[in-house]
Amino acid sequence: MKLWQNIFLSSLLLMILTINIVSAAVLSSSHKMLLEREQAHAVNEYEFFAASFSNAVIYERLRADEVILSEEQVASTAKELFFGPDNDTAHAAVFSASDRRLVAGSGFDELMELGEVQDHISGYSPDPDTCQIRIFTLGKSRIMTVTSAMTVEGRDYIVITALDVSDIYAMRDRQRDFVRKVSIISAAIVSLILLVTVIILLRPLSRLNIYTKAIAGGNYKIRIRKKGSIEFRELSGNMNAMADSIQRNAARLEKTAEDRQTFIANLAHEMKTPLTSILGFGDLLRIKKNVSDSERMEYAGVIVEETKRLRSLSGKLMELVALGGTETEMEPVALRDIFRDLEAAFAPQLSKNGLTLYTSSEEITVMADQELLISLLSNLIENAVKASSEGKRIALNARHNGDGRVLISVADEGIGMSQEAVEKVFQPFYMVDKSRSRKAGGAGLGLALCEKIASVHGAELSVTSEIGKGTTVSLLMKEVEPS
Amino acid sequence: MISILIIEDDVNIAKMIKATLSIVGYSGTCRYDGRSGAEEAMKGSYDLILLDIMLPEMNGFEVMESIKSCGTPVIFLTAMQDVADKVKGLRLGAEDYIVKPFEALELLARIDVVLRRSEKTRDTITYGDLTADIGRHIITLAGKQVQLTPKEFDVIVYFLQHQDIAVTRERLLSAVWGYEFEGESRTVDIHVQQVRRKLGLKDKLITIPKLGYRLESQNSV
Repeated sequence: MKLWQNIFLSSLLLMILTINIVSAAVLSSSHKMLLEREQAHAVNEYEFFAASFSNAVIYERLRADEVILSEEQVASTAKELFFGPDNDTAHAAVFSASDRRLVAGSGFDELMELGEVQDHISGYSPDPDTCQIRIFTLGKSRIMTVTSAMTVEGRDYIVITALDVSDIYAMRDRQRDFVRKVSIISAAIVSLILLVTVIILLRPLSRLNIYTKAIAGGNYKIRIRKKGSIEFRELSGNMNAMADSIQRNAARLEKTAEDRQTFIANLAHEMKTPLTSILGFGDLLRIKKNVSDSERMEYAGVIVEETKRLRSLSGKLMELVALGGTETEMEPVALRDIFRDLEAAFAPQLSKNGLTLYTSSEEITVMADQELLISLLSNLIENAVKASSEGKRIALNARHNGDGRVLISVADEGIGMSQEAVEKVFQPFYMVDKSRSRKAGGAGLGLALCEKIASVHGAELSVTSEIGKGTTVSLLMKEVEPS
Repeated sequence: MISILIIEDDVNIAKMIKATLSIVGYSGTCRYDGRSGAEEAMKGSYDLILLDIMLPEMNGFEVMESIKSCGTPVIFLTAMQDVADKVKGLRLGAEDYIVKPFEALELLARIDVVLRRSEKTRDTITYGDLTADIGRHIITLAGKQVQLTPKEFDVIVYFLQHQDIAVTRERLLSAVWGYEFEGESRTVDIHVQQVRRKLGLKDKLITIPKLGYRLESQNSV
């Protein structure tokens, strides 16, 4: 059920209930008041009749000049009284107290047929001091009876008078019907007003709903205008914050997917280029009838060269993949030892290219995976070698950075690169000079690999370079405090 | 002599294409970046341009735009298999699109199709006392017309166009029959035998075991 329907129906029910309870209380109290008035009226009437009856009997005895009246005489006197000119509307009955026999009665025939009335009369214990008031239902009308005992001329009688009080009950029923109608109508009006109010108040909610749907539908750019009550404004603010964070995450995921896509496309391209040469020259060797020795040497040479390129590419790829998957073993590594190993490893290549490698390191220990750190530094030195011409120097340094970190740098005096190239240099497959890199057997993955190794170590890799002056690659990594 | 301009940044691939072209007697000129490639295309008169897409300086599409006016047919060479790239290239007016890596004969076949379309291939090929008139679909041996079925005609023309090249049955199938034939290389053998018999090429159209056939050129002994 919708909120406005809920509010409408529950307030309607509550209104009807409240009005009915209140009016029932009011009605019943006013009914009781009327009834009390009628009771007083009935008692008056009773007293009047009782006095008349007593007077008539005494009067009759005096008139008849007898000591005591016989029962028949009393009955006839009573009948006279009932049917006399003054008492045409009297509803009353006189019973003898001893045997509960009807002495005389008027307008009591119907009433006497009721079992309740008979039980009342037969069960009444005579008490002249109080009068008992009862209400009986006779058909559609209500009859109020007043019953009491009296002694007239030495005889005990029970006297009952009846008064029709149907009007009071009819009035109560009419009022109740009226209240019922009024309650429903007024509740409907009030609820309607409430409904309109609620709908107006909830309008920001439907607006929020539309925006939420739009955001859920993938439109992360829209933001909700802050309007309405404080609660709605707060909600709008929070939803905007949610949309912000969704947008950020979606953008990040998109970027990741895009990077991966680019990586795969570049990889395919980098694999196809050597494959084209290999397949082409291989095919030529196969289908050509006469292949001269120099041609064969050339073709096979290219095939071997390109195959080496593929091998280097797959090797680098495997390293990249392995870095993502395997646990690295961090241990304290003395940089001085590593530098010495690197010097030894690069000595032949350096002397072949006529280059000199200078290393210097303070007494520094870092937490690192030794294999990976060597691989990272080798890649950097290799890049430096590729960029340098004969006679140039390459410097491998390590020093305290002062903030608990170590700065390891590889600097060359090579060809350098433009600012534009520096920004792209960590992208997989990016090569500053494609043909140069390819001649040197590069796949464009070296620095991407270095960056990955750096991030595994929680280290930062940065590059500064100037065309014609050389390039410096710096690695900032955490230092192990000498114990 | 057919001259073809190769615009390809990878030196080895350019070298390979040039060597491939040389076996059918086409001359190749190499340019290694887009700008100099475009300049060369406008300057020289080439029968065909083989154009790589990923090029330094100017990419293949840009080169294509700038050389449109010279009207030389272009075949794109690319490592990308993207259909959108292919459509883009063809919409720019390229004649064909070859995805790297490719076999030497596939390249030659595509080149032949394009050259034939632009009527740059020779209409008649003479081989000793054999003359094939490709346009009129007639082959004469010592001045006398020889009756060949259309497929036999296509087979001998293919060999004449690829003299001294070892042609695999599969290659011949896709070149003459136009589709990849599975396990039906017998069809090729039968046609080759017919051609040999009808044209007296027993010694020239030789079988290369495990590979296919080769038509020895006239000057080779």
